[in-house]
Amino acid sequence: MSPIDLSPFVDAVQERAERLRQYAEKQKVFGWFCTYTPIELIHAAGFLPVRIYGGATPIKLASTLVPDFVCPYMRTSLERALRGEYKYLSGIIQGYTCDTPCGIINIWEENAGPGLFHSVPLPYNTTESAISFYRQTLTELIQKLASYGGKTDADSLERSLDLYRDIRNCLLHLHQLRFQNRLALSAGEFYTVAEAGFSLPPDVYLKHLHNLISALGEENTRNIGIPVIVSGSLLEDTTVFDLIESAGGKVVADDLCNGYRFCYPADGVGADPTERLIDRYMHRFPCPSRSVIGDRVNHVKELIKQSGAAGAIFLFQRFCTPHLADYPALADELKKDGIPVLQVETDETVSNRGQLKTRFEAFFEMIGV
Amino acid sequence: MEKTQKSTKRLATARELRQIVADFYLEGHQAKQAGKPIGWMPPMNGLIEIFYAMDLMPAFPENWSPVCAAFGLIDKNFQTAEEMGFSRDLCGYMRNNVGYIHGLMGVEGVPLGGLPEPDMVFLPGGGCIPTMKNFQYIARRFPEAKVFKADLPQVPIENIQRYHIDYAISEINRIIDFLTEVTGRKLDHDRLKEAVHLSDQACALWDEIMSYRRHKPTPLSAAEIGLMFVMVTRQGTQIAVDYLTRVRDEVRERAEKGIGVIADEKVRLYWDNIPLWYNLGLFNYFERFGGVVVAETYSAAWSIRLDVDKPIEALAMKSLMSYPMVSCVSMKRRKEMVLRACRDYSIDGAILHSNKSCLPITLGQMDIERALLEELGIPSVIIEADHMDPRNFSIAQFEERVNPFMEMLLSRTSHTSR
Repeated sequence: MSPIDLSPFVDAVQERAERLRQYAEKQKVFGWFCTYTPIELIHAAGFLPVRIYGGATPIKLASTLVPDFVCPYMRTSLERALRGEYKYLSGIIQGYTCDTPCGIINIWEENAGPGLFHSVPLPYNTTESAISFYRQTLTELIQKLASYGGKTDADSLERSLDLYRDIRNCLLHLHQLRFQNRLALSAGEFYTVAEAGFSLPPDVYLKHLHNLISALGEENTRNIGIPVIVSGSLLEDTTVFDLIESAGGKVVADDLCNGYRFCYPADGVGADPTERLIDRYMHRFPCPSRSVIGDRVNHVKELIKQSGAAGAIFLFQRFCTPHLADYPALADELKKDGIPVLQVETDETVSNRGQLKTRFEAFFEMIGV
Repeated sequence: MEKTQKSTKRLATARELRQIVADFYLEGHQAKQAGKPIGWMPPMNGLIEIFYAMDLMPAFPENWSPVCAAFGLIDKNFQTAEEMGFSRDLCGYMRNNVGYIHGLMGVEGVPLGGLPEPDMVFLPGGGCIPTMKNFQYIARRFPEAKVFKADLPQVPIENIQRYHIDYAISEINRIIDFLTEVTGRKLDHDRLKEAVHLSDQACALWDEIMSYRRHKPTPLSAAEIGLMFVMVTRQGTQIAVDYLTRVRDEVRERAEKGIGVIADEKVRLYWDNIPLWYNLGLFNYFERFGGVVVAETYSAAWSIRLDVDKPIEALAMKSLMSYPMVSCVSMKRRKEMVLRACRDYSIDGAILHSNKSCLPITLGQMDIERALLEELGIPSVIIEADHMDPRNFSIAQFEERVNPFMEMLLSRTSHTSR
């Protein structure tokens, strides 16, 4: 356990639902699934964007609407919506990325609406016409938000961009400390800090991050395990990180949706706020659902180089097509560089924890030798 | 695992299809030998018409997958893919293609000679994730091929706006520039107009053929779904128009003469999702109960019209509409489409294929099931299977679900007819 006071983050995660219910009484809250969602724009309109939480929960109602071969995150999120746990949301705004959230949003709207349900059709290219198209998708989003009372202008967007830039810079600072083995947090604690940001108002979260960074020293931590990078989609349950670190590993970097992919880069550049936003999202650390495999390989290799990771653990949610599809090429490329890889599939409950721990131990033993 | 089961076909013109398929693949190999550039591309977009207008040869890995299923090549292709680390939870089209290009491709004796090697590969942006990844792996396998990364707005059909169309048009223009640069051939816009006109004719014929299925008894069932081959591979050509004209004539004649797929049609069925390519004979299974699959979701992908006066825009619209029509991108529209088809074709019951290999089409099925029952009083049965991987299909479980469903429908229809 870290001697640092993490209670603002832990409380935010544990009390998320109740806090958001109260918050929604004074300000509209919109949900999002994917880090390609332009959350700055939702915030600039005067709303609170929050990441929809799936988490461990028994699936009953969702089974009547979707088949078993849907990723656990989507199934548990839908389950909670059908139970009425997301009534505080005024809708879902989503950057169109993976096929599954797109379909789930449609089902959600049909069965747990009404509200504003909108998938932003993001371009895949970075050409001039793609940039122009991106701008128009954002204009459409602004109009849709306006129909819910949103008021967006250049100044409000600039302020929101600055706020999220500062948050991302703080998180990237923590990532940098971790690369250098100078972060006095366990991986479980690190991702709790990250998770809190998905539901806290960004100004509040930024203050907590500043306090945390002040409280954290930058002294070398004891080298307590084999350095590894963790790659996958979204890992909401921090148990899996505890398992890795109790089995002899030390998470020094990640290629996760709730990790590095959310925050790199912190900002974009542009002649106006919209261009700045577009630039950031077009050049961000790629997710397999939005990128060509070869490009992504180079980004992951760079992270490994920066962090000194000696191995890569691919932790996939079951049925996660984008990550499962990229895996053979990515693993192959890493192995060619002498990086050992381990692939494991899990679900939101990390129900296979005994088996996982054994596999992690064997993996670290192999690397250690 | 169930063995490959071919369907029993009733149309004389359906038997011509074997030759049409063979000719397409032969033409691809001849083109390769003659130095005509080959482009591998996903189906259901406007690329095919441009290719034929520029006298280039398209190839469709997704279409090759059903061919592999029909020829029994899938076991080997899946094995190769799985040995490379591809999960069995991934789409079967993708696993089959990746397995094929790393295994049987180029091996002597592969039926139809397999796919000719690509000179160009088109990476789709848009469509589903497995399709995108499939083509990314193809591009990695053929590093000499020129790669074009295409983009397409992923927008529900009911939300298509001018700016979506304009972006799709700009992408088509980029493709034309790319083809001109890579192949040295210039696009003749009159030829493109002609190709779009032929595509439009094919779509009109397709709609007309489908319309005869409203007759009782229906002259055409899903067992003849192979007809779709020309819509996938020969749109924009006279070959498709000529063939579909012959099919139309035969189907029309059968409809006028009251010749049904089976002698005593008792139950009219709807099929949602992609067929089981390794077991098209399943469509004949229902016949023992007097059941015929009269309509299906997949065939709606071709039920569009193209504005010949604006050929580039027509291709942009085709690209924007074809895939979303049969996927979850536009669930409202898909639900409307299924309900309308069930009304138009006087459907008694629906078979909803919960398809492990295609989540986008599967998502929303349970809402469709409910809407069919509540709005039209049409019952459904959900069967769990896979359009490519027979290991995810059990005929015993299928029979266990379908037999009582058919018995129930029979009792309902006999009650109604009394």
